[in-house]
Amino acid sequence: MTERSNAPAQDTDPLSLDAEMPSALMTVNLGPSHPAMHGTVRMTVTLDGETIVHVDPEIGFLHRGFSKSSENSTWHQVLPYTDRLNYVSPILNNTGYIMGVEKLIGLKPTERAEYLRVLGGEICRICDHLTCIGAIGLELGAFTVFLYAMEARELFWDRIAELCGARVTVSWTRIGGVATDMPPGWDQKLRDILPRVIELTNEIDTLLTRNRIFVDRTRGIGVISGDEAIDWGFTGPCLRACGVNYDVRKAHPYSVYDRMDFEIPLGTRGDTYDRYVLRLEEIRQSHRIILQCLEQMPPGPIIIDDWRYALPPKKEVFGSIEGVMAHFKLIMEGIQVPAGEVYVYTEGANGELGFHIVSNGTGKPYAIQLRGPGLPILSAMPRLIQGHAVADLIPVFDSINMIGGEVEQ
Amino acid sequence: MSQALVDLVREKFPEAVTASHSHRGDEVVTIRREDLVAVMTFLRNDPQTDLKLLRQIVGIDLLTYKKEMTGGGALASIEVPEYDLQKKSPVEPRFYVAYNLYSITRKHALRVRVDLRSDDVKVPSITSLYRTADWWERYTYDMFGFEFTGHPNLKRLLMYPEFVGHPLRKDYPVRKRQPLVPELDFPDLIRGPGPGPGGAGVPMSQTHVGRKNVDPSTYD
Repeated sequence: MTERSNAPAQDTDPLSLDAEMPSALMTVNLGPSHPAMHGTVRMTVTLDGETIVHVDPEIGFLHRGFSKSSENSTWHQVLPYTDRLNYVSPILNNTGYIMGVEKLIGLKPTERAEYLRVLGGEICRICDHLTCIGAIGLELGAFTVFLYAMEARELFWDRIAELCGARVTVSWTRIGGVATDMPPGWDQKLRDILPRVIELTNEIDTLLTRNRIFVDRTRGIGVISGDEAIDWGFTGPCLRACGVNYDVRKAHPYSVYDRMDFEIPLGTRGDTYDRYVLRLEEIRQSHRIILQCLEQMPPGPIIIDDWRYALPPKKEVFGSIEGVMAHFKLIMEGIQVPAGEVYVYTEGANGELGFHIVSNGTGKPYAIQLRGPGLPILSAMPRLIQGHAVADLIPVFDSINMIGGEVEQ
Repeated sequence: MSQALVDLVREKFPEAVTASHSHRGDEVVTIRREDLVAVMTFLRNDPQTDLKLLRQIVGIDLLTYKKEMTGGGALASIEVPEYDLQKKSPVEPRFYVAYNLYSITRKHALRVRVDLRSDDVKVPSITSLYRTADWWERYTYDMFGFEFTGHPNLKRLLMYPEFVGHPLRKDYPVRKRQPLVPELDFPDLIRGPGPGPGGAGVPMSQTHVGRKNVDPSTYD
């Protein structure tokens, strides 16, 4: 070094003080099983220092052949598969699929069943948003938020278990109605836990929304404009966070959503922070819908009385020849759905949940293809994260709330 | 509601539209394959249509669509045996691709459908129009084997690269198994070098006692 000190410093000299740090792009694998990856997604991240140059998400580790299995099941046997598409909000998936079948048949469920579906669906939407918010908090170091979210979710899942008999894989809806009615006293139980859920939501709100660390980590990260988001196929909270007012419940009210008084919160920036705040507000709106459902719900049957599509009551099965025949035909042949092709779409927790269903008039669906709301959003990950630090990958990935079941089918 | 949309497409592209129908409120136009990009460009950019949201791209295989092929009305549990498929005369055009489009501003939807013959499954890619088409085309390619010409990165989306065939085609058997993928021959930090000469190409699970003689090519 002593010899060199006399020589004038040159930019090209790697040992000079002014020389640039040597840098080469580095490729890092995140996942498929990594503590910070939800589910099994592999991300091949190309890094320049700490800055992300490119992300290549690779999915399919959870692929279970939803479409192929559905094509080889009867119409009712598909139902349990739909639970497993989004295991945090199964009733929303059940409803989406069953509405498709009902659209093909031209069938209308009973009014009470419609209310029950909306009620169950909104409970599931809250659970889904709580899971998403809890996970964002958890991975940014706010473990308390996660515990609060889980406590609220547990309260709901206990009610769902009482209503459907299962916590997660409920398979609760039926063609023309739902499987079980509310048990006696259940609505009061639900009313009793709702204030606690809102209290917990407010706790999360006060812990995170104006938290300096949280805001610094999420604001301005993963920004996307409304037009671009539509181009990428965004729907649901991620699209509304960009300020685009599209919610299937308002744009094309299905079921009894037209009788509900609720608002669609909209974001302005389209960043991770907006996606978080919007989910928080949607929890409050879903809470309003649940209360209105409980108030408006009329008494009456929970499933239609048409034995071509709905199983007859057990009293009829054991007591009359028509009941036995209907039961036998439904179990052995499945319901016969008229030939046709429909695309049915509902508002899932993460966006528009679509089923493209083709029937050729037999007891099995000819083809079912799923539009999982997470798939287009996940495909935009390279766009969302480009240019940010590698540490920002996790909050952005959390905020799009990718669910492996529906994306990878 | 969207019938006006179908009429508009018919008016703008009289030769391109080969058929249109409406079922349960879903409007469908079938167009010629060579006009796909032109029609889609119009549908996306024209202020009257403004179909900016591509919801989904689906492929459908019509091979067993006729009722007798699925044992129509018979017991639902009966599967169509493979030899039956070969005996029947092939259905042409066997496939179609459907694009579910939606307009957020105008609140109308349209399904664009392109028929494909089984000997020529090339479709022009629309990734230059809709960014979201990238993954949906990869998905459809993966499941049905349609070749989207002009797609920048047409590889499988859900299945793994070594997978042979396209699972959602109706002649792909439900219970078909594929051989396990051989472990790649590259050094591993923990386990040391890969199987190396002799062991290369044999899946790990088949190197265990009792499975040595299983030929990976016949393993299904």
